[in-house]
Amino acid sequence: MTATTLRPATRSTSTVTPGRSVRRTRPIWATVVVYAFLAAVTLASLLPTVWVMSSAFKTASQINSGSGLLPSPWTLQGFVDAFTQIHLHAYIGNTVLYAVGGTTGALITAFLAAYPLARYSFRGRNALVATFSLALAIPLVGLATPLFFVVRSLEMFDSRLGLVIFYSALEFPFTFIVLRSFLLSLPGEIEEAAIMDGAGYLAIIRRIVVPLARPAIATVCVVAFVKIWNEFFFANLLTVSADNHNVQLALAGFKSQFGFNITGALAGATMVMLVPIGLFLILQRQVIAGLTAGAVK
Amino acid sequence: MARPAARPNRARAVPTTAPRIPRGMRGPVLISLLPAAVLFSVFFAVPLVVLVGTAFTDWSGTQMAFVGVDNFARLGADPVFAKVATNTVFYLAASVLVQVPLGVAVGIVLAMKVPGWRALRTVLFIPFVISGAAYALIFSMFYNPRFGLLNNLIAPLGLPQRDWLYETGTARWAIAGTFVFILGFVIVVTMAEITSIPAELYEAAEVDGATGWQQQTRITLPLLRNAIGTCVLIRLLADIGMFDLVFILTAGGPDDATATLALYAYRAYLHGEWGHANAVGLVILLLGGALIVTVRRVFRIGERDR
Repeated sequence: MTATTLRPATRSTSTVTPGRSVRRTRPIWATVVVYAFLAAVTLASLLPTVWVMSSAFKTASQINSGSGLLPSPWTLQGFVDAFTQIHLHAYIGNTVLYAVGGTTGALITAFLAAYPLARYSFRGRNALVATFSLALAIPLVGLATPLFFVVRSLEMFDSRLGLVIFYSALEFPFTFIVLRSFLLSLPGEIEEAAIMDGAGYLAIIRRIVVPLARPAIATVCVVAFVKIWNEFFFANLLTVSADNHNVQLALAGFKSQFGFNITGALAGATMVMLVPIGLFLILQRQVIAGLTAGAVK
Repeated sequence: MARPAARPNRARAVPTTAPRIPRGMRGPVLISLLPAAVLFSVFFAVPLVVLVGTAFTDWSGTQMAFVGVDNFARLGADPVFAKVATNTVFYLAASVLVQVPLGVAVGIVLAMKVPGWRALRTVLFIPFVISGAAYALIFSMFYNPRFGLLNNLIAPLGLPQRDWLYETGTARWAIAGTFVFILGFVIVVTMAEITSIPAELYEAAEVDGATGWQQQTRITLPLLRNAIGTCVLIRLLADIGMFDLVFILTAGGPDDATATLALYAYRAYLHGEWGHANAVGLVILLLGGALIVTVRRVFRIGERDR
């Protein structure tokens, strides 16, 4: 997966449109069956989400009576309450810090490691790459207690900076793998010329490799951002004070809000969801390439 | 280790002739590897060593004594552990038996380029970018016994109204129902693999008089082996540590009917039984490793058949 979508345009993929698109016309009943199936799957996948998002525009009494799919009357009170009463902006601020900081940290660390490990051969190279890649196969929740212990020992527990560093580490393996497979596919001649001209190592990375790697960088950035934005487990494990909570922890707390401000909770949840959904709709190609690439390794 | 798992026919040519590090660049190369080495050691290697080492102790966070395999013996004797292990397997089965087949089926249909396929692919991918916490909130609404959409939808059909998440009979199914319809990942992997199937295969089948159904079941499906295996593996690895949904929706209840291995470990950690928690953590990691080996073998991931 990785490779095809992230490869530079020079290497043309010889994908032929499969012959099925030019098939003879299907019988009517087959078309009906196909679309009935697709409609059922789409409903099952999205109806609850769409219903909750539409409920964010309802009044509390309409929600509690359980009547109607669409709001009547429409109200934006929930979206006001999400800020004035639930203070969503504070959590959003934290989460932006974690997501931007963690993505930046992962990107710099991974790029600096991916470049030499893609370009040069030296003893231990393959072992190092295999070790870094292995981190993606580990179900990290299993490491919860040791990670808590390490983070606390470094006095990074319940600290914003601590979480930024932690998220940099969390997103490092994925970022590294995607960047390295991209760099492997780049021809090295331009750099060789630059070396001949006496350019330094960092100058080569900054002026030649980074500009060439822009598509892969865009991909890993948007995916790491979305993953950190959506992260719950470690935010819950590694922070305790509400001042340091991210939006997902706030969301998890919303359930207890149902009693007294359900519209605010649903509006807040809707806004939190719309960030990754919006990024996905705008940068669809990058998100799909990145999420599937990172997962497939 | 860049495993071209879903793309056997385009295995990456790792340049075997990569140059050695030019003289004078050894220093900078070493320095640039340093941040990665530090981050990796601190947050992956050290915790892994701590996990394995303390799984055989009664570590409480403050003191620690070696207890041999006591933690594991305790797991074996604990009916709650048996329950959470069964639940975890139930969720894994839901992914493999419902989520993956459904996603593959949708992927095959969309790859036929039926009108609207592009929009449907986009729409069906959306659940994949929604967080577990948001999903938990959505479904605590959806299953709500008082105003939830599910009860409202089935009321006209005369079906019984239930508190889906809090009745022991339905709780586990209700949890599985939240994630088995998150199909985006499987759909995209399936469709990508189908584009790499040579059109000539279908043309030849067409000439031989194969029906559309036969083409899909005899050509597409067998050639999707790698993609399906990859999806199965990824879903298993993601779900073996399932936590967010269950923790937020039910906290494992009612009566541990929905609790998972990860939640069990988390409880032990909260009780200060860190050694015990790490024994469970080690079990999760070993299960993950076993799943990787098994699935790769069963689906012969990475092998070609052409």
